[in-house]
Amino acid sequence: MMLSRVADHQYWMSRQMERAENLARLVRVSEEMLLDDESLGRGTAEEYWNPVLAATAMESVFQGLYPEPRQGDVARFLTLDLRNPDSILACIRQARENARSVRDKISDEMWTEINALNLFVTSAEGMELLERSPQAYYEKIIASSMLFDGITDATLTRDEGWNFLQLGRLLERADMTSRFLDIRAQAQPVAGDSALESLQWGAVLRACSAHAGYRRVHGGEITVERVVDLLLFSNEFPRSVRHCIRRADEVLHDISGTPTGRYSNTCEKITGALLARLSFAGPPEVMARGLHAYIDELQTQLNGAGQAVFESYVLLPGEIDRHFPRGTRPDSLSDWHREQQQQQQQ
Amino acid sequence: MILSDYKGANLFDELVDSSGQIRPYYRGVAEKLAGLGPEEMSQKLRSLELLFLKQGITFTVYGDEQGTERVFPFDPFPRVIPASEWEQIEAGLVQRITALNLFLYDVYHEQRIIKDGIVPPEVVFGAAHFRPEFVGVSVPKDAYIHVCGTDLIRDRDGRYLVLEDNGRCPSGVSYVLENRAAMKRVFPQLFNASGVRPVDTYPADLLATLRHIAPHENPNPNVVLLTPGVHNSAYFEHSFLARQMSIEIVEGRDLIALDGFVYMRTTRGLRQVDVIYRRIDDDFLDPQVFRKDSCLGVPGLVDAVRRGNVALANAIGTGVADDKVTYAFVPAMIKYYLCQEPILDQVPTYLAWRDEDKKYILENLPQLVVKAANESGGYGMLIGPTATAAQLEDFRQKVAAQPRNYIAQPVVNFSQHPTLVEGGLEGRHVDLRPFVLWGDNVKVLPGGLTRVALKRGSLVVNSSQGGGSKDTWVLAS
Repeated sequence: MMLSRVADHQYWMSRQMERAENLARLVRVSEEMLLDDESLGRGTAEEYWNPVLAATAMESVFQGLYPEPRQGDVARFLTLDLRNPDSILACIRQARENARSVRDKISDEMWTEINALNLFVTSAEGMELLERSPQAYYEKIIASSMLFDGITDATLTRDEGWNFLQLGRLLERADMTSRFLDIRAQAQPVAGDSALESLQWGAVLRACSAHAGYRRVHGGEITVERVVDLLLFSNEFPRSVRHCIRRADEVLHDISGTPTGRYSNTCEKITGALLARLSFAGPPEVMARGLHAYIDELQTQLNGAGQAVFESYVLLPGEIDRHFPRGTRPDSLSDWHREQQQQQQQ
Repeated sequence: MILSDYKGANLFDELVDSSGQIRPYYRGVAEKLAGLGPEEMSQKLRSLELLFLKQGITFTVYGDEQGTERVFPFDPFPRVIPASEWEQIEAGLVQRITALNLFLYDVYHEQRIIKDGIVPPEVVFGAAHFRPEFVGVSVPKDAYIHVCGTDLIRDRDGRYLVLEDNGRCPSGVSYVLENRAAMKRVFPQLFNASGVRPVDTYPADLLATLRHIAPHENPNPNVVLLTPGVHNSAYFEHSFLARQMSIEIVEGRDLIALDGFVYMRTTRGLRQVDVIYRRIDDDFLDPQVFRKDSCLGVPGLVDAVRRGNVALANAIGTGVADDKVTYAFVPAMIKYYLCQEPILDQVPTYLAWRDEDKKYILENLPQLVVKAANESGGYGMLIGPTATAAQLEDFRQKVAAQPRNYIAQPVVNFSQHPTLVEGGLEGRHVDLRPFVLWGDNVKVLPGGLTRVALKRGSLVVNSSQGGGSKDTWVLAS
């Protein structure tokens, strides 16, 4: 038993941290690809970044803030722009705020690491690194998030709080992995240039740290179907959507004490259905449906899972509705909703 | 550390008497401190500072734009109080909280003290924190103030005077405990055979006090601490106390009032709450009853309190007792309810609300300290002798416009204590805030928060105004 608010903070602390890490992965790989393309005289920066913004659902926010984008604006928008509630910096700040609220529930080492990252991203040292070697800057953010994950694993008691922390990280990771795939799904197809296409899918693998995993399973040749197979359906690769959902489903059952394969609330129902869907399908079904359409459906379900966690464990509508007729909920509930929306900008 | 250069001043000095001799009960600690070389001392000071920073022992200054968290400055020279002096302080504090609780019960019930003409009705009904909604409402064990922090100062003759009572949400006790822990860690040798009474039972005593008021004599009540949140200036203390007592620290949105009961939202559903140690002022407790714009509180909480299903510490409406106008009547209260003479004296007080006093205040403003009746933390205060002409004029107008809201007192040049400053030891003004718990029996924490005005000559000790603190040693014999 723990306070719902504490569970919520733990969940969002790790979720925002994972989001910051994945955005750093995204910008790092994108900038690297862009350098290649530009040196070969292919495409424009705009053509390149548009799918990235579309896949992360930040297009309209970006257009509102940068009506006449110039070179470097997208990277700035994704990295340090606090007007973008989903920039790397905004995510780190929110992760740190969530951590501060549950400081006595996490280990000192976790707090120190999240604090250090928060200080680093805008420090003189960080800015200098971003200028001189953006790759190294983003790698440092990625490494810090992974270190935080490792410290958590090595220092935090395996109680309910740990479960909520895992849940946030796993749902975010599943979501971001699917978005990495969607970037290529939304990009203009490069007709006939299979060398370029495999280069681009290779970038997706790199963004997900999946290069080595891919080679072990599928060898050197990179094809869409095999990338989809690894990133959506692999049971073993830790960043695949299926792997994350399977773990999330286990964590949810651990929280409620319900045996796996059955469900006691909406979130377990959603992750269970999602897991079945990913267990009994493969690349042919995805290709038949269309990659973007398939991912879109997947993301709707993932959002539903996140929302259901909030409803089942934080809002407790089941219990509270019994006391209030529809529409007469007390005021404090709207505060919860407002905050939830703020956390869930993406 | 070199003690021989330290000089007393033309006021009471805690360490040395009027002939410059170290007082006998300070000899032990003074000798040990004098034995520390400058190197050793500065190394110890560094480790103290690190300790406080690392543990995040911070407070927040409102209206300060740079980073909100600051470390509370700490001075390592402990303040020592001999057993005989403490006995008198303790008895005085017990007497005072007893009278205040009887007064609160009375003004929220029969109002005898008003009918008998001891306290004028305007004093009670004109107090900003009097809660007419609670007249006739019973509270568990008829107790209103469960936790009291009373500020004491010493005059020229070393007499302890009550400066004010804090009967709403007094803060600072976490520093008492943390200061002691830090001193023990960094200066263990000072404690050797010193006979200092321990303070670390406070969290357990506080928990017992809170459990004592559980509704329906529930033997196993769910006790929580209600905080305004992480941005509150005292959040460190809230989370410290909750941790020490192993109770949940909750915000308003964690609680929900349903059908006259209060519950907290947990991942296992709603769980009933029995006692709330609230660190939120009355005004913000419940938007249905008090301030409508408050989003810190819990709609329906007051209703649950009225129905006796949840208990608050401190109770609602205690602010009428620590009002600075009411303060002037506490000696009369003690005589009226207890038929005793006050054990602790207090500072003479002029009430602007009385015409002859107002006249005196307006004529003698530069010699007086003027305080707003309902402010705390050193806000809304004028120190006549050091004020500018503009400040004096500002207060002259305020007092004339709202006489009920202001009191004035002569400037008490209160005692000083040697304090480590750049260049050695110098005297700095100190006050003392002991903490009193009103439960099954009354407990006074042996010690309290000694606050130091770190600026030379300053009489303002509040942390928000550049004050620091010291460990306070009450000796066992």
